[in-house]
Amino acid sequence: MPLLELREITKAFPGVLANDRVSMRLERGEIVALLGENGAGKSTLMNVAYGLLTADSGEIRVDDQPVKIKSPRQAIDLGIGMVHQHFMLVEPLTVTENIVLGREPGRYGIIDFATARQRVREISERYGLKVDPDAKIMDLSVGMQQRVEILKALYQGARVLILDEPTAVLTPQEVTELFRVVRSLVDEGLSAVFITHKLEEVVAIADRILVMRDGAVVGETTPGDTDEIGLARMMVGRDVVLRIEKGASTCGEAVLTVADVHVLDDRSLEAVKGISFSVCGGEILAIAGVDGNGQRELVESIVGLRRPSSGTITLKDKDITRANARASIEAGVSHIPEDRHRRGLVLEFDLAENIILGDHRTPPAAKNGIMHPKAIAELARKRIADYDIRTPSEHVHADNLSGGNQQKVVVAREIGRDPDLLVAAQPTRGLDVGAIEFVHKQIIRERDAGKAVLLVSLELEEVLSLADRILVIYEGQIVKEFVDADADAETLGYYMTGGGGSKFASDGSNVQAIETPPTGGNE
Amino acid sequence: MLADIITPDLFAAALRMATPLALAAIGGTICERSGVVNIALEGIMLCGAFAGVAVTLATGNPWLGIVAAVLAGVAISAIHAFTSINLRSDQVVSGTAINILALGVTGFLMEIMYGHPGTTDSINTIRSVFRFESNADGGFVSTVWHWINGIFLSHTPIVYMAIIIAFVAQWAMYNTRWGLRLRALGEHPRAVDTVGVSVLKGRWVAVLMSGALAGLAGANLTLEQVGSFTENMTNGRGFIALAANIFGRWTPLGSYSASLLFGFADALQIKLQIFRGQIDIPPQFFLMLPYVLTVVVLAGVVGRSIGPAAVGKPYEKK
Repeated sequence: MPLLELREITKAFPGVLANDRVSMRLERGEIVALLGENGAGKSTLMNVAYGLLTADSGEIRVDDQPVKIKSPRQAIDLGIGMVHQHFMLVEPLTVTENIVLGREPGRYGIIDFATARQRVREISERYGLKVDPDAKIMDLSVGMQQRVEILKALYQGARVLILDEPTAVLTPQEVTELFRVVRSLVDEGLSAVFITHKLEEVVAIADRILVMRDGAVVGETTPGDTDEIGLARMMVGRDVVLRIEKGASTCGEAVLTVADVHVLDDRSLEAVKGISFSVCGGEILAIAGVDGNGQRELVESIVGLRRPSSGTITLKDKDITRANARASIEAGVSHIPEDRHRRGLVLEFDLAENIILGDHRTPPAAKNGIMHPKAIAELARKRIADYDIRTPSEHVHADNLSGGNQQKVVVAREIGRDPDLLVAAQPTRGLDVGAIEFVHKQIIRERDAGKAVLLVSLELEEVLSLADRILVIYEGQIVKEFVDADADAETLGYYMTGGGGSKFASDGSNVQAIETPPTGGNE
Repeated sequence: MLADIITPDLFAAALRMATPLALAAIGGTICERSGVVNIALEGIMLCGAFAGVAVTLATGNPWLGIVAAVLAGVAISAIHAFTSINLRSDQVVSGTAINILALGVTGFLMEIMYGHPGTTDSINTIRSVFRFESNADGGFVSTVWHWINGIFLSHTPIVYMAIIIAFVAQWAMYNTRWGLRLRALGEHPRAVDTVGVSVLKGRWVAVLMSGALAGLAGANLTLEQVGSFTENMTNGRGFIALAANIFGRWTPLGSYSASLLFGFADALQIKLQIFRGQIDIPPQFFLMLPYVLTVVVLAGVVGRSIGPAAVGKPYEKK
């Protein structure tokens, strides 16, 4: 008897059929992965199950009984819990307060905090999810916050745990830990639905895989019966190259030279502590590291968004250390920013305007300070065709496009400018396999055209797949250099998390004495 | 001369002056904690002040006047709740509109009901709760008694109510279901929604409560302090209350304490005016005191305070 069953769920939004007669069932003690590209309808389906959305038609059954779920409250009462992609946690409140919110123990409206704390402790011990009940959410790491979300669902009596893109914000170590936790919950008799677009995760965690595309289920399989390539084909509907083939790099003259650069972050603390490297034409140099180790500040200093406190940055003999963004573009630097919504695009502008941002002062976009709408539209149409941007016209606002197409707009603008140096910061963040493939191909094409590429990424797969040379950044310093062939995920991860020790670690505790990296074996 | 300025009644006046500010400020605290900016406190207070006098003049019973002031506050704040919660309009615009509306409506009603603008007839103000004898002559004990009696035991009912409300609201905010949900509402309303608690209802209750408190503040002004209603008599108190709420870091007791400071500034300026012949400073400077203090406080002398994260943002269900 299935614990949760969705039958023929249909949900339409204006202009989109998000779910088209989608059915799924979840047995007790089972992990089902819902795999699909962004916009395939996975989250819509689960929001229907959790009562955040109401289906236009279809039936939901819990314990083989038909039920109506019109609000999260009803879902919770039926034992359905959800861990949202964007955490539903109140930052200034404590762990306990967040967990009991909505179901506070006590009488006459007065919360019995002693009981609340006790229950939180009980659940956290029972499932091995250690957390300080009195800590404030804002003081916890992202991984810990997610743990609180899971505890919250368990406290509410969840038998079904829906995890919406749970790994999007986690470090590789936290992902491993999450998988362990979910596995142990399922061993305790819970069931889980795991929404994701990452293939390797599906294979690692799921008992059964449901693949969705364009609002419909297009296949069901198990990890034993398929592999990542097969899953990718099902998900995208065509063959996808997961790891791009590329020829050997031909290193020309040095294009970018960074010499002993120090950069302060927004709090005036030193984020980049003396980094030197150079990138030559026809080479992809990747900076690998865990988020927050100075990558952002380093990139900003190179593209003219932040001034280094000392050191020099040179682009083909030209000193661009003190260049601003405009001078940087004019010198030949293009930048695919890590946050396309905040820095890559003006969401309220149309595509044509977005495509000429940064080139809006020079022909063909403008002459003598006057813009040329016709020339701009023409250029935009050319880019839209060249970069396969899926849009009805160049006058559509950027925020109406899918994430993949938005990123194509950014890529089209930055590469279309024909720069000497392309700085790509997390260029595939949040994209699905089809779009990732596209962006990767473009980056390789730039390299093959003899351009210098600096890639900054948190994704090990991406780094390993694209880079000709890898620098590992840790606490604002380069701690290790790999030439393509001698890197693997395990060793990279080791250095990324400080395994190699930090020369100038601010306090002794960060310096680890381990000299040799581990060989094989998962933690 | 200092002994003439620093007297029990200076501090008593501070407490008295602080009361309308504190009530409105606590209202503002509750409202903003729920995620709704209430810039309309000024107008709500004015309506409460008017309703209190009007009903007292009609019935001769100031207690009914207090009830009427509270109800008027609730009614006016319902407009703010409806526009900012249900219609999801800009909360500052809605609040400003209510302030202008309150000024117009009270002036208009004065014309209709009393046939003239300006000030209403006087009513008998509500008397102080306790009336103990004390004087400053004599020994230490009687002096201490004189000060305690003068500062704390010389007040009208709403002054004591405000103190009780401050403590009760503070306790409730951190110990009750209502308080926890209120604090969550202004920070992350969707989190509240996803655990099955209504954001709409929570915010409505908070806005109406702020209306009741601001209405009560108005009642204190007219029924306990002045004894009549004058057009625009709140004179910016609603805005100073908002400043007190921020200074008090969005907590009821903090709001009360900050209001005490503003109240003291007000009391001092009145006192200093009495001695204006002896002090060579133009009286206008004393009048500025509470407002200057407000600007100084808001300019961040006390350090930047961070309000609820979702304050001012209308909530839309997905």
